[in-house]
Amino acid sequence: MPAIETHCPYCSLQCGMRLSGRRTPEVQEWAEFPVNKGAMCRKGWNAAGLYGGRERLTTPLLRDRATGEWSPASWDQALDVIAERIAAIQAERGPDSIAIFGGGGLTNEKAYSLGKFARVALRTSQIDYNGRWCMSSAASAGTRAFGVDRGLPFPLADVEQADVVVLVGSNLAETMPPAARHLDALRARGGQVVVIDPRRTSTATRADVFLQPVPGTDLALALGVLHQLVALGAVDTAYVEERTTGWEDVKESVAAWWPERVERVSGVPADDVRALAAQLAGAGKVMVLTARGAEQHSTGSDTVLAWINVALALGMCGKEGAGYGCLTGQGNGQGGREHGQKADQLPGYRMIDDPAARAHVAGVWGVDPDSLPGKGRSAYELLDALGTDDGPSAMLVFGSNIVVSAPHATHVTERLESLDLLVVADIVMSETAAVADVVLPVTQWAEETGTMTNLEGRVILRQQAITPPAGVRSDLDVIAGLAERLHSPVKFPTDPEEIFEELGRASAGGKADYAGITYARVRDELGVFWPCPDAGHPGTPRMFLDSFAHPDGRARFHVVAYRGAAEQPDDDYPVHLTTGRVLAQYQSGAQTRRVKELPDTGPFVEIHPMLAGRIGAVDGEPVTLMTRRGTMTAPARVVDTIRPDTVFVPFHWVGANKLTNDALDPASRMPEFKACAARVSIPPVVEQGRQGPSRDQEVAS
Amino acid sequence: MSAERLVIVGGGMAAVRLCEELVAGSYDGSVTLLCDEDHPPYNRILLSAVLEGTQPADALTLRSEQWFADRGIDLRLGARVLEVDRERNEVMLVDGTRLPYDRLVLATGAIPTLPPIRGLVRLDGSLHPDVHAFRSLADCRRLDVAVKPGQRAIVVGGGLLGLQVARALSVRGMLTEVVEGADHVLHSQLGEAGGRVLARDLRRLGTEVYTGARAVRLRDNVLVLDNGHSLETDLVVLTAGGRPSTALARRAGLMVRRGVVVDAHLASVTDDRVHAIGDCAEHRGRTTGFVPPAWEQASVLARHLCGEDVSYDGSRNVARLRATGLDVAVLGDPERAVGEIVEMTNPIVGSHRRLVVQGGRVVAAALVGDLSRVGLVTQLYDRGTVLGVDEPGQLLMPEAAAAPVTLPDEAEVCACAGVTAGQIRACSSLEACRETTRATTGCGGCTQAVCELLGVQPELATS
Repeated sequence: MPAIETHCPYCSLQCGMRLSGRRTPEVQEWAEFPVNKGAMCRKGWNAAGLYGGRERLTTPLLRDRATGEWSPASWDQALDVIAERIAAIQAERGPDSIAIFGGGGLTNEKAYSLGKFARVALRTSQIDYNGRWCMSSAASAGTRAFGVDRGLPFPLADVEQADVVVLVGSNLAETMPPAARHLDALRARGGQVVVIDPRRTSTATRADVFLQPVPGTDLALALGVLHQLVALGAVDTAYVEERTTGWEDVKESVAAWWPERVERVSGVPADDVRALAAQLAGAGKVMVLTARGAEQHSTGSDTVLAWINVALALGMCGKEGAGYGCLTGQGNGQGGREHGQKADQLPGYRMIDDPAARAHVAGVWGVDPDSLPGKGRSAYELLDALGTDDGPSAMLVFGSNIVVSAPHATHVTERLESLDLLVVADIVMSETAAVADVVLPVTQWAEETGTMTNLEGRVILRQQAITPPAGVRSDLDVIAGLAERLHSPVKFPTDPEEIFEELGRASAGGKADYAGITYARVRDELGVFWPCPDAGHPGTPRMFLDSFAHPDGRARFHVVAYRGAAEQPDDDYPVHLTTGRVLAQYQSGAQTRRVKELPDTGPFVEIHPMLAGRIGAVDGEPVTLMTRRGTMTAPARVVDTIRPDTVFVPFHWVGANKLTNDALDPASRMPEFKACAARVSIPPVVEQGRQGPSRDQEVAS
Repeated sequence: MSAERLVIVGGGMAAVRLCEELVAGSYDGSVTLLCDEDHPPYNRILLSAVLEGTQPADALTLRSEQWFADRGIDLRLGARVLEVDRERNEVMLVDGTRLPYDRLVLATGAIPTLPPIRGLVRLDGSLHPDVHAFRSLADCRRLDVAVKPGQRAIVVGGGLLGLQVARALSVRGMLTEVVEGADHVLHSQLGEAGGRVLARDLRRLGTEVYTGARAVRLRDNVLVLDNGHSLETDLVVLTAGGRPSTALARRAGLMVRRGVVVDAHLASVTDDRVHAIGDCAEHRGRTTGFVPPAWEQASVLARHLCGEDVSYDGSRNVARLRATGLDVAVLGDPERAVGEIVEMTNPIVGSHRRLVVQGGRVVAAALVGDLSRVGLVTQLYDRGTVLGVDEPGQLLMPEAAAAPVTLPDEAEVCACAGVTAGQIRACSSLEACRETTRATTGCGGCTQAVCELLGVQPELATS
């Protein structure tokens, strides 16, 4: 049997790979695929490790709330139970009493079908997804600045053409390792890499310049850089005049951000701010890339706008080998946000409150536009409302492990437990499935076919390579089965290619236009970049070369003010806490923690030797982290690569998100995962014979 | 109830900040801003950079006239206030206009003090044509055109502003000297050791420093000092400090000591409808003269006026010398703050650093010549972080350089594939290593290390 070309199940790089072998697939390189050219990290090489394991769910399960016991059920039983409960709840409390929670790892076909299912079969406005916690701040900023949001408006390989690449809050060498090869290629031809991160990450160690700001202050740094670009006369005034609006107000707004002020706010020495500005001013092609470190803040969208302002002032956006881009995180972080999984959007990036958009999409779906619900709650607000008087009392979860990944997770778990009905479709008994009433075993990755849209806006095809285990069904089957039982006015297809064609029609004329993309083209052309409005259109690898997507064709500068993280350290919680990922794990770890080839180290607390000395922490020994929302204990990793006033915890395990802050960005509704105030101490020792820390040391923390 | 009429006197940095914060807080009164200069409010901090040539003068404006207009603020440029009539609640302008107020904010700033030097002022009261003050944009422009590379300049006053101006003139090619009456430069902020390091830096940069010497007479392009020196010069800049501008307040019968005496709501202790912020205000016996406290006062006052329950409790100040080639940061008052002193002076490399630590907190600091830890020290100072006993010392130690090490067999070399040094050493070739361990097949960052472990040339790896 020939090897099948497909893509890695994890991050937004969607590395191309070949799979062979029918029972246990074997991963091989696919050197021709341009994004990774055959390179892969251990997550990709071991992607097949989730097959046939004992933890795989293969039958629907119903939980008895009284005893907590699970009992297997047939698919018909399970779907009947769900449909009956939904119908009863909706009859009593109306359509919005049912919520849908999707994921940024779902294929485009699933994301599209889920949005349609919510609006047409359930007629609920209450749908959102975990992508809200991924790149929504960049999406909001990109839409406001450029008129459209596509993570990278250029192929990733364009990185190699830049003279200076500035990475703001990205540790791509660990989160998407093969991408780092583009940085190395850039440096090999004389370009420079700047990394801005509170931790000297493995990405930072291969950079030419490393700046280490206080968590939550990237925005101030951007204001300072722009101030200094003005001072240096480095603003491309011809470009600003011709291709943008709003510069004068922005110029004025940075007059008060001289480098010494930035230093006081961000902890980055004033001379480093000056040096960075001078470096950018002297470069022909500058590329600014943001990731979660800059975006997952209550000021995330403003932070991204501030960096976009820098790129615009330098005249870089819409120039080949330069510009601004966001390094999306989840596998289908890009596609997942385009086709109606979001509370306020319909397929093709259409806004749900736009009458023309409603008419178009309702036409494709064959329903009355007036029957479509309006805008719902954003992800965190939706979870926060569960089980409350005006909130939903049942929820269906697809492709998301909320108990681990939501901020202020203890509170969110309480909300989940307050529901009358929680249904989770997953491949394993995730922490969220474990609190559900009904768990549906579904197919994964190489067991099914579907398209994904990678971080570049390239639509790619993940092809089925093996037969799924007996007993599991696709999410698409679940949706169709429930729609039928709920007497949906329209049928839901289950063939991915048929759904993709419908998605193309629904997105036609929208900003993310897929109308001209087919499975055949994706196979033949190694992916197709949207927008691609018709069969003869080549797709759009590079956007904005001639025009931006606002009606006047211009990009917009936006005045943004520095506000800082919502929660600042104080006497009770004196250090900054930030969170992130490690190389061998992915997101909530539901998949990767179960792959035996990937080390499951458990969570740890990165702490600087100075802070460790202050509280008496020892490398490898447990420390307790406490915030206003929760507590966790994990071994300390004493490293001099982190700021002495900051601690770091990876979020792949239960714990980190019990601590994180649920303050939301006003524009994107992104929670502040990346900065809150914490207290770190040595846990009280219970065993005999060991010396506990002195009381004084605890107080001093 | 009709909206409160708020009149702000002064168009400096405190006044603009107050306007911004009033807008942000949706203040529901009417706001009039009386600005005696003709230019819309600008960033005074940057004037020495303009003089130095590292900041364009046309990028100083903090808020344009349009900005004020769009937000319904009545900005009046060139509006000089003659009197405040507290009986009639009116402000009288020099041009005769009378403006009623319900609430008045004095943000009149400071005025430069003229040192007692004979010959500075001519008979008609104007400054000698070769003598310059340096406070306003107009002063800056006047001095800017007087700068002639190769000519001599003397800066009278070795404080923060004086040193910035001296460096600016020097960068512009003038032969610059500094005269300071105290026994070292920056004497308000630094002790003698710090001042000496700084003076050495200045000399290294070509600027002679005369300390413990007062200028007493200017005649025929010669500045005579009280220690007997006579310095030829083409230009004199006076930066010997300023004093709060309190004449209006004094005449209006408000309590004035060094500045207008205010309470925790930045209200005059004489009349709670009159507030003072910035350089002209005196709170708990202190006037400041720096932007950060002025902004903090503006912010507190705005929130108070918008109805929030806030009070002003004094400010933490960080003063930074902004001059090419001179590195100075002063946090709080390192000469007078009470606490234990942790200090390191290294005249060999030209650095002096002092931390004043009380109860584990850095309550003041001075950093001269080595600002490598300024960002962190500032954070610890601003946030009042309680440090462990070793930390103040560690803050002053250089960061240890990493020594090259031989990797033990269990050390992970390729993070992407999770391969240890031992596993790599066990491979016969790079190709075998790639095949069996997948090392180097991810991000590529370990290629160099893997090649070294295998003893092969890295070039071979880039296949």
